[in-house]
Amino acid sequence: MAPKKTNLLQGTLDLLILKTLSLGEMHGLGISRRIEQLTDGTFHVKPGSLFPALHRMEQSGWLISFWGESEANRRAKYYRLSRAGQKQLEAETREWGRISLAIAQALQAT
Amino acid sequence: MGAHFAGDRASLASYLKMPMPLLRYFSSCWRSLYQKSRLDEELDEELHAFVELLVEEKIRQGVSPAEARRAALIELGGVEQVKERVRDARVGAAMESILQDLRYAVRVLTKSPGFTFAAVLTLALGIGANTAIFSVVNAVLLRPLPYAEADQLLAPMGEKNRPDAHATISHPDFLDWRDQTQTLEHVAAYTRSSMLLRLDEAEPELIYGANVSADLFPLLRIRPALGRAFTRAEDQPTSEPVILISHGVWRRRFNSDPNIIGQQLKRGGAGAGATIIGVLPEGFRFPVQESRTDFLRPLAPALGEWAQRRGAYSLRVLARLKQGVAAQQAESEMRAIGQRLELQYPDEGFRLGLRFVSLYEAVVGDVRVSLLVLLGAVSLVLLIACANVANLLLARAAARHREMAIRAALGASRWRVARQLLTESLLLSLTGGGLGLLLSLWGLDLLVAGSGLNLPRLKDVSLDRNVLAFTFGVSVLTGIIFGLAPALLSVRVDLYEALKEGGRSATAGAARSRLRGLLVVSEVALSLVLLVGAGLLVKSFARLRGVNPGFDAQNIFTTGLSLSKIKYPEAEQRRELFAQLVERVRAVPGVESAAVVYPLPFGGTTTSNTFLIEGRPIPAPSEKPAANYRAISPDYFRVLHIGLLRGRAFTEQDRPTASPVVIVNETFARRFFRGQDPLGQRIVIERASGQATVQAAREIVGVVSDVRHAGLDEEAGPEVYVPFTQAPEGYMDVVVRTTAANPAGMGASLRDVIRVADREQYVPGVQTMTELIAGSVAARRINALLTALFAGVALLLASIGIFGVMAYTVAQRRHEIGVRMALGAQAGDVLRLVLGQGLRLVLLGVAVGLAASLALTRVLAGMLYGVTPTDPATFAVVALLLTLVALAACYVPARRATKVDPLIALRYD
Repeated sequence: MAPKKTNLLQGTLDLLILKTLSLGEMHGLGISRRIEQLTDGTFHVKPGSLFPALHRMEQSGWLISFWGESEANRRAKYYRLSRAGQKQLEAETREWGRISLAIAQALQAT
Repeated sequence: MGAHFAGDRASLASYLKMPMPLLRYFSSCWRSLYQKSRLDEELDEELHAFVELLVEEKIRQGVSPAEARRAALIELGGVEQVKERVRDARVGAAMESILQDLRYAVRVLTKSPGFTFAAVLTLALGIGANTAIFSVVNAVLLRPLPYAEADQLLAPMGEKNRPDAHATISHPDFLDWRDQTQTLEHVAAYTRSSMLLRLDEAEPELIYGANVSADLFPLLRIRPALGRAFTRAEDQPTSEPVILISHGVWRRRFNSDPNIIGQQLKRGGAGAGATIIGVLPEGFRFPVQESRTDFLRPLAPALGEWAQRRGAYSLRVLARLKQGVAAQQAESEMRAIGQRLELQYPDEGFRLGLRFVSLYEAVVGDVRVSLLVLLGAVSLVLLIACANVANLLLARAAARHREMAIRAALGASRWRVARQLLTESLLLSLTGGGLGLLLSLWGLDLLVAGSGLNLPRLKDVSLDRNVLAFTFGVSVLTGIIFGLAPALLSVRVDLYEALKEGGRSATAGAARSRLRGLLVVSEVALSLVLLVGAGLLVKSFARLRGVNPGFDAQNIFTTGLSLSKIKYPEAEQRRELFAQLVERVRAVPGVESAAVVYPLPFGGTTTSNTFLIEGRPIPAPSEKPAANYRAISPDYFRVLHIGLLRGRAFTEQDRPTASPVVIVNETFARRFFRGQDPLGQRIVIERASGQATVQAAREIVGVVSDVRHAGLDEEAGPEVYVPFTQAPEGYMDVVVRTTAANPAGMGASLRDVIRVADREQYVPGVQTMTELIAGSVAARRINALLTALFAGVALLLASIGIFGVMAYTVAQRRHEIGVRMALGAQAGDVLRLVLGQGLRLVLLGVAVGLAASLALTRVLAGMLYGVTPTDPATFAVVALLLTLVALAACYVPARRATKVDPLIALRYD
């Protein structure tokens, strides 16, 4: 993750996590790897940013966590999207679209 | 991917009949609050699982296990740091969601100002009243006494029923006890006292304090702020007078002069020439019941010659137990010492109360029950207020089901919605609590000032930490109580169902109306309990007030005069002054008759002396009969309209040189001269008076009717009356009967007459006898008044509540009523239907209330006079009254129900 931590970046991370989990439930490492994959390696989320975000979002009611077993039969904490999280994803996707459109427009001005 | 692990929680949730999300919320709260280490462990586990998975991944990529682990740990970046950031994130998120709730709550509440205002006001009244009563309870009952190790302090008490029944002792007995005790660390004797402080200004000030034995200072462990306390050497009958003044007097009258030590007070009044040897610490009070202590003087010099009389029991006692000694041991030792002294001094004997109680008990023992009863009453009012607000919220919740449904559709979990509602409730209750705190400040001022109550330590009432904590706690509890019901209900609402057009969810509606019914029943029941309590107290007070004290208290004015021992050292002088005074007062226009008496009935003092009947065997000292003693002038019976039954009253002929006489009352005659004629019999009253050490036998010359001298609720005891000319006192009360009801300026005229007789004599305020009698029952009056006030408020609140519920129910059933009317039901049928429903709830409430009252009113038993705690008349009247009022509250909505136009009602389905 870029060294500077701003609200925009936090929101972006949230959006990525929500999107990732909308594709299926996973544990922390899985989420991190999936985000890397989805963004073609642009975003590599370190645990120091990932776990606070996961816990915060769980606190806000967008994620639900549960303990489960990984492929190697190892106990790990899994996360999945709640219904509120689903709504939040939709809302933030729309918002993101607006923002990026606006910025693109601004950058094109001469 | 992985399996769901929810088995345990789901089964637990269904066992508790709690929705899963709610359970999860509570459990995560519990987890984060009380099991922080568990949360930590879970986080630990999660992070270590992450590391292990990462290691596995790297191994799969071909890295060596050791290298993989090293790389994984570096990537993690330090377990503790990550944990710290997670913790911060959790807290941040929690705060954010609370703030969200608050903001939303504020918006919602301000959008319906009417409801918010009504709810906040109701809560403010309920919580405010509780705060006010609690601050009194706090000051009087909860605050520890202001002395070091106060639980070691004991006060001997006399008879059980008198509130002020401190046992009294004589000075020689006190000295012997002090010297012989092994179980007590210190014993001190004292009397309350007042004196005139004359400084250079014109008007002398009356200050209040106590004459105490020197041991009081080590007993209470107090050290003067300035100077020193007095020693036993200065506490002898012939010692030079010394005095300690209070911090307040030092500041006020002496301008905190640092050279105060060694100054002498002026002559005149009883404090002539006393040298100031110390200043008491700020805020010091002794006795603790008094509202102020302005000075302390040594006891023995103040007693003068009486310090040597073993028969003069007039001193109160305070004792401190030695460490590790039980009160019973001290009690038995006191009795043993008493027996020894009785044998040593058979004529005078040792008289002291038999019980030792802790000082705290002695101070607050009586008022404790009534204060706690008041606190209980006011909590009932608060509960009723809560029920009303809960009803309001329920009504609103039904109207808001659409809003709730939308929120749920937007993804808010049910417990989140419930939490939101709870936040609104808490916001309401805390606002109400804050407002209530302000109200109680104002109400307390009223109460303390206007009631004329003489509660011990009432002066200490203030809003301190305890009271603030109480108010806050009660507000939170209140918010939870009335907010919980709507919150829980909203959680159970089938939200999809609610979204349907005109949705009236069957299950939620039924649950809500059942809850409403329950609230009405409980309001009625609580109101009934309060009304019964108030009814009993009011009836008891009325009975008491109706008691005939045995004399006519109308049109009687009184004031008390204390003659300076310096100015009137001789008994003859005192007699002369009072005799003259009576003459002059009688001459004042508007005065029908005048007399002097000591002690005054209802004046707060009783004196009791043992006596012997001539011609009968002398009983043992502890078995000597006793009678109340009164010194009077001849016209006393005429002034108070006390009937003379036999013989004669005193006349001018009963001079000191004439033969000693005495008049007794009916009870005396009945008890000691049954079947005999008391006239002509002689008794010897054992009371030190004047210089006479041997008492003369007095002839009984008259019998008067009984008078209740001490209190309306106390039966008259045996009384003896002695002509004051034959036993002059240094203090007497002047009683005057006037012809008119309330002649203006009678007080001033009395003062003038007294001033003429002695220009320097201090005259305290003039009171009427009716005032004194009213004062004696002031505490009961306040109790009855307050309880009636609370009951009235409760009734009002309950009526409003019932009205609201009935109106709401009628509105809900408009459709049904329309159908019935369309099918031919008449107005009367509809009325009966609605009223019937209301009546059922009310009657159920009354039944529950009566049962509760029967169980609870026994608490009042000690406070009632002439009324039993289960007085059927009171119960019946109250039940009837409440039923009628409740029915009246149902009536208006029921009438409105009959006006329903069936066509309109049916159309709006």
